[in-house]
Amino acid sequence: MRYIKLILLALIFFPFSLQADTAEGVGLKIAKASYENGRGFTDMVSDQLMILIDPKGKEVIREVSSKTLENLNPDDGDKSITFFKTPKDVEGTVMLSHTHISDDDDQWLYLPALGRVKRISSSNKSGAFMGSEVAFEDFSGTDYRKYDWKYLGEKIENDETFFILESFPNYKNSGYSKRISLTDSLDRTRKVDFYDRKGELLKILYLEDYELYKDKIWMANTMRVENVQNKNMTIFKWLNRELDTGIDKKDFEKSSLMRLAD
Amino acid sequence: MQNQFFIAPVYVLLFSFIFFQNVKALDYKAYGFIQPEITSFLNGDGRHNQSNKNFSAFAKGTFVTYLNNNNTKITVNSIGRIDDNDDNRTYIDFQKLKYELFFNDITFRIGNELIFWGVNESFNIVDIINQSNLAENISGTKKLGQPMVSLSYFNDYGSFDFYLMPYFIERVFPGTKGRPRLAFEVDKNNVIFESSSKKNKVDVAIRYSTVVDDFDIGISYFHGNNRSPNLTFNNKSFKLNQFYPILSQTSLDLQSTKGAWLYKLEALLADNGGEKHFSIAGGTEYTIYAVKETSSDLGIVIEYTFDDRNDFAFNDEGVIALRWTRNDINSTSILAGVLSDLGGNSNRFFAEFEQRLNDDVKLFIDASISGNIDQNDFTYAFKEDSQITVKIAKYF
Repeated sequence: MRYIKLILLALIFFPFSLQADTAEGVGLKIAKASYENGRGFTDMVSDQLMILIDPKGKEVIREVSSKTLENLNPDDGDKSITFFKTPKDVEGTVMLSHTHISDDDDQWLYLPALGRVKRISSSNKSGAFMGSEVAFEDFSGTDYRKYDWKYLGEKIENDETFFILESFPNYKNSGYSKRISLTDSLDRTRKVDFYDRKGELLKILYLEDYELYKDKIWMANTMRVENVQNKNMTIFKWLNRELDTGIDKKDFEKSSLMRLAD
Repeated sequence: MQNQFFIAPVYVLLFSFIFFQNVKALDYKAYGFIQPEITSFLNGDGRHNQSNKNFSAFAKGTFVTYLNNNNTKITVNSIGRIDDNDDNRTYIDFQKLKYELFFNDITFRIGNELIFWGVNESFNIVDIINQSNLAENISGTKKLGQPMVSLSYFNDYGSFDFYLMPYFIERVFPGTKGRPRLAFEVDKNNVIFESSSKKNKVDVAIRYSTVVDDFDIGISYFHGNNRSPNLTFNNKSFKLNQFYPILSQTSLDLQSTKGAWLYKLEALLADNGGEKHFSIAGGTEYTIYAVKETSSDLGIVIEYTFDDRNDFAFNDEGVIALRWTRNDINSTSILAGVLSDLGGNSNRFFAEFEQRLNDDVKLFIDASISGNIDQNDFTYAFKEDSQITVKIAKYF
């Protein structure tokens, strides 16, 4: 009888274990683990430095600072406020964004010249952030549920073993047909190849300077993007990053933009 | 401008007092720009025999500091201009000069403030708090700071704003040498108010605004001196007299954001010096992102406005414009379009180009070209004022 029970149990769970063992299931599992690696921060305050480098090596620097509020509801996205500092003509501009997992994000922009808050479209997923090689969707699309995943196998590079994952955006207006990413044994994404809509390799993202916060949260402090088509490079650095600072969640509402203005 | 000069010392005293109470290490930011401009008029000396070019310099400075654990904020935002030809265009204004106190869900403000209501790109009919400076720009989009005491309260249902405005700022019109200008000079010394308190009438306003999914909604009420005076010809002085009626206005502004489509609507019911009127304006904006796999965006804006006053300048007008944004390192963009009087036969073309030249220098080129203008259209006075302005802003 015990054996029959075991067989029955095995039969019941068999379909699930089978699913988990498919390339899709394994891919999703690793992607989820990698995503959850960076969760639990409650809120985050940081300054960001962006270095835009053209093929001739000419550098331009852009600075913003931001606040992010983690959404404790797992079915909805985070909220963030971005304060633009340089180039100086955009100083005083503030952007508020409410991200969503399956819906378009909500975005508002405070424009200091007019003292005006404008709701803007968030459809330009593939648009360049401040003329860099980083697209808006590279910030808003970090949730693993925005992609369909596939595990492609393992790879050893510089004595390190990586999982290779293929992902396909499942939201509208993406500039990418697919991404191939390398995740290390600590479930940290280290490198992502982005393919454009035509299926050609567009850019390579390297996630570097990982730091362990609060003994449990891994965050990359440098993002390096090499566009292989136009040969531009963007280095994106997080400076003075602090987690769980106790920001008032009311700051992340449209009505607070005027408080935070200028 | 004269009013502001009168009021400024009072503010300076008030703010110095506040500062000296909080003289610990001051964490602040200060930034701004100066912008020399040159305008060339394409129709020679024009209708009013004026100079066919103009030199001008505009400047703006912003100072912001937070005190008392970020519960207090001081904002100073001043603009000013020196103009070669028009004395009315030479001014200093404190668009913002305010002291703010933040409580949990209440913000209290005192001082000059710049408040924008509305959603439209062109026809901002519900925007009423701040006075327009028509010498700065004849379209009325350039505003002067409004002295006020205000309170904002917000909760999960939205935001409630209350404004008390104890001092009225008169509209600034171009002077006789200003170009474009009206057919006759607006007389600064012949100003009449419906209100017996004149400039000291305490204007009041209330606004409720909220966000429901894709909708941004605002409902507002204003009671006070109308920002827009009725102008009447004085056949003794050959100038235009100004009469500011008392305005009561209830308005709605609404935007729906559906992906790349924005739908906008503004509507108002008003009693202006005892005469009732209704006005509505709205339209749509659609943007094609990453045009032909490039980084460029191309947007189209179509807006229309209607007002049931037949003698009102904007009672049946439409605008159609294209906005091209290159999304490059230099933030290159062009906005170009046409404004048409649909009831008549007048139209005006406009174009605005901008591009950053380096990290702290930006180039702007604005053009405004008269098309066909009816003789009875109010813009007939500046029919021959087609112009191109080149501005170079240096940021600090």
